Order: sequence, then C-alpha cells, then structure tokens
Amino acid sequence: MSSVVDIPVGPQHPALKEPLNITCYVDGEQVVGARLRIGYNHRGIEKAGEYQTFIQNLYIAERICGICGIVHAFDLAQATEHIIGKEIPRRADYLRTIGLELNRIHSHLLWLGVAAHEIGFDTLFMYVWRDREMVMDAIEEFTGNRVTYALVTIGGVRRDLPQEKAERMLKVMDVLEEKAKKYKEMCLNERTIRMRCDGVGVLRKEDAIALCAVGPTARASGVPFDVRADDPHAAYDEIPFKVVTYDTCDVTARILVRIDEILEAINIVKEAIKKMPSGPIRVKLPRVVPAGEGVGRTEAPRGEVIHYVRSSGAERPFRWKVRAPSLANLLSIPVMLTSKGDYAVYIADVPIVFASIDPCMSCTDRAVKFVDVSSGRSWIWTFSQIKRMYWRERP
Amino acid sequence: MIQELMVVLGIVLFPGLLFFSILGLFFEWIDRRFYAKLQNRMGPLYTGPWGLLQPLADFVKLMAKEDIVPEGADKPIFSSVPIFALALALFATLFLPVCGPRGLISFEGDVIVLAVVLTILVILVFLGGFSSASRYSEVGAERSLLQLLGYEIPLVASMLGAMAVTVPIGGSLSISSIVEAQRSWWSILGVQALGFAIFLLAAQAELERVPFDIPEAETEIVAGWTTEYSGKKLALLRLARDVELAFLCGLGATLFLGGPQPGPLIPGLGGVVVSTTLFVVKSIAVLMLLTVIRAAMSRLRIDQMVNFAWKWLVPLSILQLLLAVMAPLATA
Repeated sequence: MSSVVDIPVGPQHPALKEPLNITCYVDGEQVVGARLRIGYNHRGIEKAGEYQTFIQNLYIAERICGICGIVHAFDLAQATEHIIGKEIPRRADYLRTIGLELNRIHSHLLWLGVAAHEIGFDTLFMYVWRDREMVMDAIEEFTGNRVTYALVTIGGVRRDLPQEKAERMLKVMDVLEEKAKKYKEMCLNERTIRMRCDGVGVLRKEDAIALCAVGPTARASGVPFDVRADDPHAAYDEIPFKVVTYDTCDVTARILVRIDEILEAINIVKEAIKKMPSGPIRVKLPRVVPAGEGVGRTEAPRGEVIHYVRSSGAERPFRWKVRAPSLANLLSIPVMLTSKGDYAVYIADVPIVFASIDPCMSCTDRAVKFVDVSSGRSWIWTFSQIKRMYWRERP
Repeated sequence: MIQELMVVLGIVLFPGLLFFSILGLFFEWIDRRFYAKLQNRMGPLYTGPWGLLQPLADFVKLMAKEDIVPEGADKPIFSSVPIFALALALFATLFLPVCGPRGLISFEGDVIVLAVVLTILVILVFLGGFSSASRYSEVGAERSLLQLLGYEIPLVASMLGAMAVTVPIGGSLSISSIVEAQRSWWSILGVQALGFAIFLLAAQAELERVPFDIPEAETEIVAGWTTEYSGKKLALLRLARDVELAFLCGLGATLFLGGPQPGPLIPGLGGVVVSTTLFVVKSIAVLMLLTVIRAAMSRLRIDQMVNFAWKWLVPLSILQLLLAVMAPLATA
C-alpha cells in the first residue's frame, strides 16, 4: 500500500542558499527518511593556506564565511598566538569581543529573516533584513567594511574604536534592542508562525548530545554548551552573560534562542564598551612562527568553530585545519527529518527544519569524495592525482 | 445589425476580454505595489509611470522566452492547460456587472455557473501539474486538489448566502438581481459580513496566495504545479491568474459591496462611467484586503489548512448561509 517516493531537495532548490543535497523519502506528504550529501562547495581553502604566510592566511580565513568572518580570522589569530605564546593587549581582547558579538547580531538577524522566508512569511523577512542594515552599518563604521572586515591581526586588532564611534554604536544597540524585543513578541504571538514551528524538527536532548550538536541547535535542545562560558577567551571572562537555553527542542526554541542571543550580544557589546581599558591595540609579533601546534576556538553564531594550526618553524603553516559548526549540526538533520511514532514530518517542514540549524555550506565543505551514483562506488583522489588527470586530458 | 456589433465589441473590448486583461495586469501592479509598501519596500518602479507597466513587461518578456516542454510530459494536456485556464478566467468575467446592472451574459442561475467555473479552474491546475511529469508538480497538483476539498464548500456557501438578499425582491439566483437588491443597502452591512470574510479567505485559497499558497509553495516544492511551465505557457498562466484575481475581487465587490451601485441609476453615458469607476474602486478595496491577508501571515501546511477549513470555515459558512436565509424572512 505504502509507496515511497524520493524527492530531491538540492543541490539546486529555492529553499537552499547554498548547494547540498537532501534526498527525502516521502510517503504521501509525510517524510519517512532523509539522506544528506554534502561536498558541492569545496574550495580547497586549507590547502591554499599552506602556500601563504600566517598574516595572509587571516584574510583567507575571513573569506571562509561571509557572515561571521571575524570569527574565523579571530580563531586563526588565536591559534597562531597560541603557538607563539605571547599575550596580546587587553584592549585588543575587548575590541575582538565587540567584533565577534556584532557578527553574532548580524548573523542571527539574517537567519531570522531566512527562517521567516522558509515558512512563507515574507513580511517578517523584509522587516528583519531592513533592521539588519543597522548592525551592518555599525560594523562598517567600526571595521571599515561591511563584509570582509580585516579587523583581527596576529597580536591584536588593526582598528581602534574611538570614544565618539563607541557612543554612536551604543545608540544603535539601543534601537536594535527595541527591535529584537518586538520580533520576539511577534514570533511568540503570531499564530501562523507558531503553527508552523511548534513541535517541528524535534531534536531531543539525548540525540543532540549523541550527535554532537553545537551552538543554538544544541542550546535549543536544552544542552547548555557555549564555548564563551566553558572556555573563556578574549574578554568573555570579564563580561557576565547568560547562556540561553530552551527545552522544547523544536524550531520555535531555535528561533527564541537566537533572538535571546541577540539581546545577550547587545548587552555584551554595551558592557564591553563600558569596561574597555585604554592602552595599545596590538603588539608586534614575529612573522616567522616557531615550530609547534596551536588551537583556536570560539563560539561562532552557529556554534563552536575550531582552528588547528601546525607550524614547522617557517613563514607558512605546515597544516591548517578548520572545523565549522555546520558540519557538527548537519548530523542531526536526518534525525529531525524522520517521522517516528507520533512525530510526523511533512514535506512542507523540510525547508524550515533544515534552515533551523542555520547551515553554512561554504564554511563546511572541506573534502571531496567522488561517488559514482549509478554503481554506488566511491573513492578519494589526492591533489596530485587530480593534477595528473587534468594534464592527461589536455592535448 | 448595430445591436449585434455592440455585443461583439462588448465581448472583445469593453467590458469584456481586453478590459479584463488590462484590469488583471493593473490589479497585479496594485497587489505588488501595496504588498511592497506593507513590507517597507518600493515595489515595481521603473517600467512606465510608477512602474505601472511592469506586469505587462513581465508578460511580454515571458512571451519571448524559450518554451520548454519536459520530455515525459503529456504534451496535449500540458500545452492546452494555459490556454483553457486563460479562456475560462476570461469567460467568467463576462458575468460581472461592470458598467451596468447586468453583465454581458446574464441569466437565472448564473451564480451556479460561476461556482462551477471556479472549480474547473482548479481541475485545470491539477491536470497541468499532473501532466508535467515532475515530482514537484505532482506534489503541487495533489495539494491543489486537497486544498479544493477544504475551501470549495465555504466559497459556494458564501456565494449562495449572498444571494439571500434577493429574497425581498422575489428571490433569484442571478447576478443582475443581487445588484438590483443592493440598490440602497449593501449586503456586507448586515449579516453578510461573516459571508464576506469567508469569501475572502476562500478566494485567497482559490488564488493560491499566502497563507494558502500551498500548491505552489516556493521554498518547499520549487513552484509547485507550475514548475515545468516556461515561456509562452507560463505567460498565459500568469495572465490567467491575474484575470482570476480581478474576477474574484470583482465578484466579491458585486456580491457584497453592491457592484456598480448606485451607478446604474444614472441614465446615459454618465451612468456607464460612474458604474465602471465604482465597480473598479470597490474591486480594488477587496484586492487590498486580500493583499493585507497575504502580508500578515505565513504559509500553512496542507494538513493544517484542511483542518482549519473543516473545523472553522465549513461550519461557519453553513451558519452564515442559515443566518442569511433567515434574516430577510425575519424582517419581512
């Protein structure tokens, strides 16, 4: 009686902002299973890093993610400073914290708009993205750029935040706080949003822990995991903030976690501006990094980002490894998309469930595995093999 | 001879096919522009004055584009659906009393014909989606039929309920008599307000607009049943959708807001101008209500839609039908 049809979502699909493939197995309108395939957006960024100096790599790292660029540059700088083993000025720590939190506000507002679009609420999408411009402008005033910021450098930051700019930023934060509160109220009270999000995309606490979910995805399932609190870096040890968790484990919880985090981030920025000590914003560190290994980790808007750097004592890193949070969160998607017992997933839920982890594929894709779809055979080519193939085919 | 010529001109030019095609494009512009204003955007702006020609430009552009028919598609059905959809939508508009107390076609029971036409339009959607041989289209087609189950009864009930205002003048099932009955008192001002609300929601579902744009949900199933349509066929489908929009707004204005009333009371050419203006203005009022609904909600899921329709819309529509039938009897 039951006839299962597979519906491909992606790699080209209006609901996806970046390429990946979810094959949904559908019985009528109900999704009974899902398979994920990633790797469409491999950019070879880690390999490129081995041919550039540490300083140059910061700017590549910033291009890993167009939304939370400061996070990746910060992590790489942190890892490099870890190898060198020198402290950076306290004021630089505070400025980095402000940059990270502005990134978080920007990213969460952007996500809220995308989520609203996925459930067909375009008005909220337009409103949120209009207000996102305010934080974009604040970032531009602070770092000089809207997207790739070039704020962080090894040994500190490149731009200071003078008093009058800081005051303007505080004003923007006040306005944004009002807006964020309004959106929270809207998401709590608008019936059609609640109908689409309540009890949808459930990821139970034990599943979240077992599948190593990170960031807002984990926190919406009641796992109080936040690198800023667990392993304080930059100025997070001196600024009090709350780790937001919700325990309804559904899409609504993920929306609320993110809006509450916007409010927390606004408080952190305000607090950081208030507490910021005066002094230099960077120290000169040697260009040649001594041999050794370093790790940088921070809480990106999507979850924990880890950068690992190994230096052989040269100008260039010997190996650079990036783990983006989406890679950890993608594992929970098939669980969220599988109907089980009372829990039913409909085709209509697929986009919002998928979007609820705030996936960033270009940050995530690191390796390419070749798959012959007809035979199911899969293999991995090394770079030199690809190069040989390429040359052989040329006349 | 002159009489017959006037009828042909009436059908082709005004208030027939050409008028409603232009009105449909104009309504699309209003819809897009007002929707944009509600969302704090600009909307169409550059083509023609205030972007008025944007829908026409879209139509012309689509007409010039490559027309692709999928290999596995059932070609005769796939190709004829856009033509039939446009023809049916335009046919329905001939019943509307635009410039006088009656439409170009008017007979006892024409409201029933309109209800049938509205259903056939959805059957065409289903045929178009199912003949596309695409998984997205099939899901969209399935959803359009499921949705029809939800809103068809409320739609017809609200139309028939509106007919109850003709009871004092003898009772009738024709559009001309309902216009006549609303000469001094629009039916929306009484018990029909509920019927009007139900009609708006059902019309929104018929037009596949948020929150009932389930059959063509962009982020879920690409473009639903229209996924495989392109070029000329898509242009015709979009025009058909625009004409249907104008038709349903006009129908709402006719049934609940008195249509061209009190225009037909004025004799001569002045009456025609006043009637047409009033009809269009009232239709635009209905259109704006539809647009506000579209801007203020998110898309429902198909099961939620059908649930909502059977839990609320159907009982309420039967209630309003009873109320509408009782009210004139009670006052009489």
